Amino acid sequence: MKPAQFETHEPNTVEEAVSLLESLDDRAILAGGQSMVPMLRFRLAVPETVIDINAIDGLDYLEEDDGWLRIGALARHADVEESDLIDEQYGSFADTAPLVADPQIRNRGTVAGAIAQADPKGDWGSVLLAHEGEIVAQGPDGERVIPAEDFFLLPYDTTLDENELITEIRVPTPAPREGSAYHKLKRKVGDYAMAGSAARLVLDEDGRIETADVGLTAVDITNVRATDAEDHLEGERPGSEVFKRAGELAAEQSNPESDEHGDAGYKERMVNVLTQRALGDAAERAGLVKRRVSQ
Amino acid sequence: MSSDSERFAEAEDGGPQPEKHCGHGRGGMGEEVKRKEDQRFITGRGNYVDDIKKPGMLHCEIVRSPHAHARIENIDKSRALKVDGVVAVLTAEDLLEHDLATMPTLMDDTQDVLVNDKVKFQSQEVAAVIATDRYTAKDGAQKVVVDYDVLDPVIGADKALEDDAPVIRDDIEGKEDNHCLDWETGDEEATAKAFEEADVTVKEDMLYQRLHPAPIETCGAVGDYDPGKDKLTVHMTSQAPHIHRTLFAQVSGIPEHKIRIVSPDVGGGFGNKVPIYPGYVVAAAASYVLEEPVKWVEERSENIQSTGFARDYDMTGEIAATEDGEIQAVRTDVLADHGAFNAVAQPSKFPAGFFNIFTGSYDIDTAYGTLTAAYTNTAPGGVAYRCSFRVTEAVYLIERMVKVLADELDMDPAEVRRKNFIQPEQFPYESATGWNYDSGDYEKALDKALEMADYDHYREEQQRRIEEDADKLLGIGVSSFTEVVGAGPGQSCDIAGVEMFDSAEIRVHPTGNATVRVGVQTQGQGHETTFAQIVAEELGMDVDDITVEHGDTDTDPYGLGTYGSRSTPVAGAAAAVASRKVREKAKAIAANELEAAEEDIDWDRESGQFHVTGAPDRSISITEIAAGAYMNHPKSEEPGLEAINYYDPPEMTYPFGSYIVVVEVDRETGEVEFEKFVAVDDCGNRINPMIIEGQIHGGLAQGIGTAMLEHVTFDDNGNVTGGDFMNYLLPTSMEIPEFETGHTVTPSPHHPIGAKGVGESPTVGSPPAIVNAVVDAMSHGGISHVEMPMTPDTVWEKLDEAGLSMDPADNVSLEFDDQQSGGTADD
Repeated sequence: MKPAQFETHEPNTVEEAVSLLESLDDRAILAGGQSMVPMLRFRLAVPETVIDINAIDGLDYLEEDDGWLRIGALARHADVEESDLIDEQYGSFADTAPLVADPQIRNRGTVAGAIAQADPKGDWGSVLLAHEGEIVAQGPDGERVIPAEDFFLLPYDTTLDENELITEIRVPTPAPREGSAYHKLKRKVGDYAMAGSAARLVLDEDGRIETADVGLTAVDITNVRATDAEDHLEGERPGSEVFKRAGELAAEQSNPESDEHGDAGYKERMVNVLTQRALGDAAERAGLVKRRVSQ
Repeated sequence: MSSDSERFAEAEDGGPQPEKHCGHGRGGMGEEVKRKEDQRFITGRGNYVDDIKKPGMLHCEIVRSPHAHARIENIDKSRALKVDGVVAVLTAEDLLEHDLATMPTLMDDTQDVLVNDKVKFQSQEVAAVIATDRYTAKDGAQKVVVDYDVLDPVIGADKALEDDAPVIRDDIEGKEDNHCLDWETGDEEATAKAFEEADVTVKEDMLYQRLHPAPIETCGAVGDYDPGKDKLTVHMTSQAPHIHRTLFAQVSGIPEHKIRIVSPDVGGGFGNKVPIYPGYVVAAAASYVLEEPVKWVEERSENIQSTGFARDYDMTGEIAATEDGEIQAVRTDVLADHGAFNAVAQPSKFPAGFFNIFTGSYDIDTAYGTLTAAYTNTAPGGVAYRCSFRVTEAVYLIERMVKVLADELDMDPAEVRRKNFIQPEQFPYESATGWNYDSGDYEKALDKALEMADYDHYREEQQRRIEEDADKLLGIGVSSFTEVVGAGPGQSCDIAGVEMFDSAEIRVHPTGNATVRVGVQTQGQGHETTFAQIVAEELGMDVDDITVEHGDTDTDPYGLGTYGSRSTPVAGAAAAVASRKVREKAKAIAANELEAAEEDIDWDRESGQFHVTGAPDRSISITEIAAGAYMNHPKSEEPGLEAINYYDPPEMTYPFGSYIVVVEVDRETGEVEFEKFVAVDDCGNRINPMIIEGQIHGGLAQGIGTAMLEHVTFDDNGNVTGGDFMNYLLPTSMEIPEFETGHTVTPSPHHPIGAKGVGESPTVGSPPAIVNAVVDAMSHGGISHVEMPMTPDTVWEKLDEAGLSMDPADNVSLEFDDQQSGGTADD
């Protein structure tokens, strides 16, 4: 690795980091380095200064508090992967963590960093959208909370201000009859998603779908909600025919491009398949029993 | 057949039972000796090119063309030279002063070291920046300003041969097209007749895609010119140091005895480190000019984008057969992409390598093949990636075609193979295209593989899933390949005119241990162990008392290097023959020490001792003999105990095997999962079964990479779109299933210890087994081929074409009961 020359700062507090952001012109934030290090290596990023936030204490939490699942800016993918809380309560998070990159990367890479990177092929963005999550950022004027839906603008571009530092990613704790899941198609461990679908269902007392959220990976310029599918699902009773139509609607609303990872038509088809699979798992995790019935 | 070969011929018939050791506990033949070299590798004490540090060493970064086809109008070094720490910027103009601007390829084409006039592929070497550290060198490289006149690129061999294609090689006088070479083999007329008269003919197009060997250590060199001794040392990632020394001498004009090539520990070669690359020449030339050591080490993407690729054979295969599956003739036509220069790495008399062994394991007396190769605006190559010179392409062709034939005839592919195998009594067997197979027992290996794979069970399970319209289809693929490895003989095989022999030198020291030097260079194959085992076996020494050295042209005997699975067949033979020469002399010394006549001295392989005939008590070990050789040598002999052998093999060796792969194909996504992977190999007598198994595992992993993941791709502008590990996907342990390996033993009759090469069998044999398995899962839907790499989208397209794709809701209806309320939906 032969990056261009840069200076480093290692702030010990969020405030210090924010003031560095304010005072330095050409800088980049380093958390896990999952994307930043390759960008430095290819000299796609040539910042004068790298602000390494790893020395900030107390940002590596992963906890439920006050109605939220809170993931601190320095919590690693591996922390999510290994968490019992996640395993028991957050199906989509438990599905996603072991599918991100490879084990070595997961030991360093952070959930918040992946969200900040805003790669449309990133997995966490879809999960965050499906959970109607929020991004908590600290800037010179204090804390700001950005709903996930308002966060992603373009590939690698978000509504985060340039002097803001993400301190936390959070999603509401699950409702009593809620289930979620994430399905991802990739060619090998460590590869980007060819397509991915995160689904979350909340059922009412009657067993009908009260809330349905579907987030898609790698099929548009950002992680996106499949709103047509969501609208179709709400008020319906879970079942393969309903899910099939939701899958079709998600595929229609997606906008993938052909590349080395597969052609656009195939990817649309996979949005359909993965959405159906994610919905099926989500329904099951919401407390329903899945039966396979041969026709 | 020598008596030693006979002894081993009877030694064993392998199987799942524990290996029968015949090394007598001293680490000789057949013992699972732990690799002597691993201690330093796994404790981080290896010494690779990039580990080499020299006082005053400078670093080289190469400026590469962003365009695939462009004329260079101007190179401005001035900004780069202003970077603090940049020592020099070299261009073709500077190299021309020293007559180093071009270099010959292994096929005697001429390649620019640094582009003089016209860029012919993306990432071609344009200038070199030499600086005090590698970061500064890269800073400088970014400041070299090159003005290009961009030309239309030519991508794809088919496009290259179109009439109006831009001419890439206008440096060749009178060249008006992109045609590189034509080649043919076999009997055209007889083959045409066989096809006309056959009951059944089948035909299939298949692309063996462009791969890259992608060794984990990229290429690199430290050029180190010593003006005091007027000697140039080049430490480089070389699979063939001696031939590289000869080529360096020819290119540079420096006398060969004033050049030393050192190939230290090499982190994988796989054919990638057989050619000479511009970076090596630049590091050496810069050191010569600047009189300081200069290091050049490639980045990963430079390695994939500019050094020797493999395959890129666009093949058509045809088989003519009787109704009951007897193959009567095979025919093929190939369009080969050689890139911008003809730099294929083959013995020089074989422009298509050993591709004409495409009759494979089958007794086919009529065959014909043609090939046309084209220049394109892509990196030069066609190296033998873990392959004996295009045998991989040949095996893929015939093993795929046998499956196509079996499907056409609705026969079991294992049965079609059995019906057509060359029979054991037919060896030595001369093939329709002139190959002389040494030995084989193909049916035995196939039977063993079928049994290990529980073949009949999976055939039933496959049928059950079809009948039940299951969401995952099962496919069973078979490949019964034959390899041809161990080039020479020198008369037919040469590299740049140098015959492909190899060598071993043994020096037994006064205290009874030995140093063995060989002409081949290890890149992970375990030579330091394997060759020591051969010598231990032949001299009755302990394997721990033998050190094997290699990779230094100043000390090692001349050899042609390691590739094409030639180390054991050629240098291994040399080690055995040299050992026997030592043994002959040892006998004279033993006679002297035991006060007996030389003709009364017997050597006992079991004990490793020499003794007087009929008196086993009067014996002497090699340790005592060594002392005698230096301290009490018989007057009839010279002092010392040494021997050297340069071995020119009489023939190649023909290892073979049968692989069976069972896959599950997901009808919803096209994903392929391995269910079972059985590999039965026969490499003749086995030196170290553990090393062989390791070689098989590694090669199978690479075969999986080939079949499922890897492809160097380009866009229409000539940009490499598969030129880094984000896009050129290598398999990891996570993509690799559990392998079940087995073996049979059919010794080579002409090899001194009956051994054959094995390192490449798995890469050669496994891709067709894997493709056959995926095709087999869909053959009931009329699918006859799937192109590699078989990515999910590629497979899904075939499923869809065959009407076999499935929606999650298609045949499984999901219903949901509310657990708490005890169920609402009907069953």
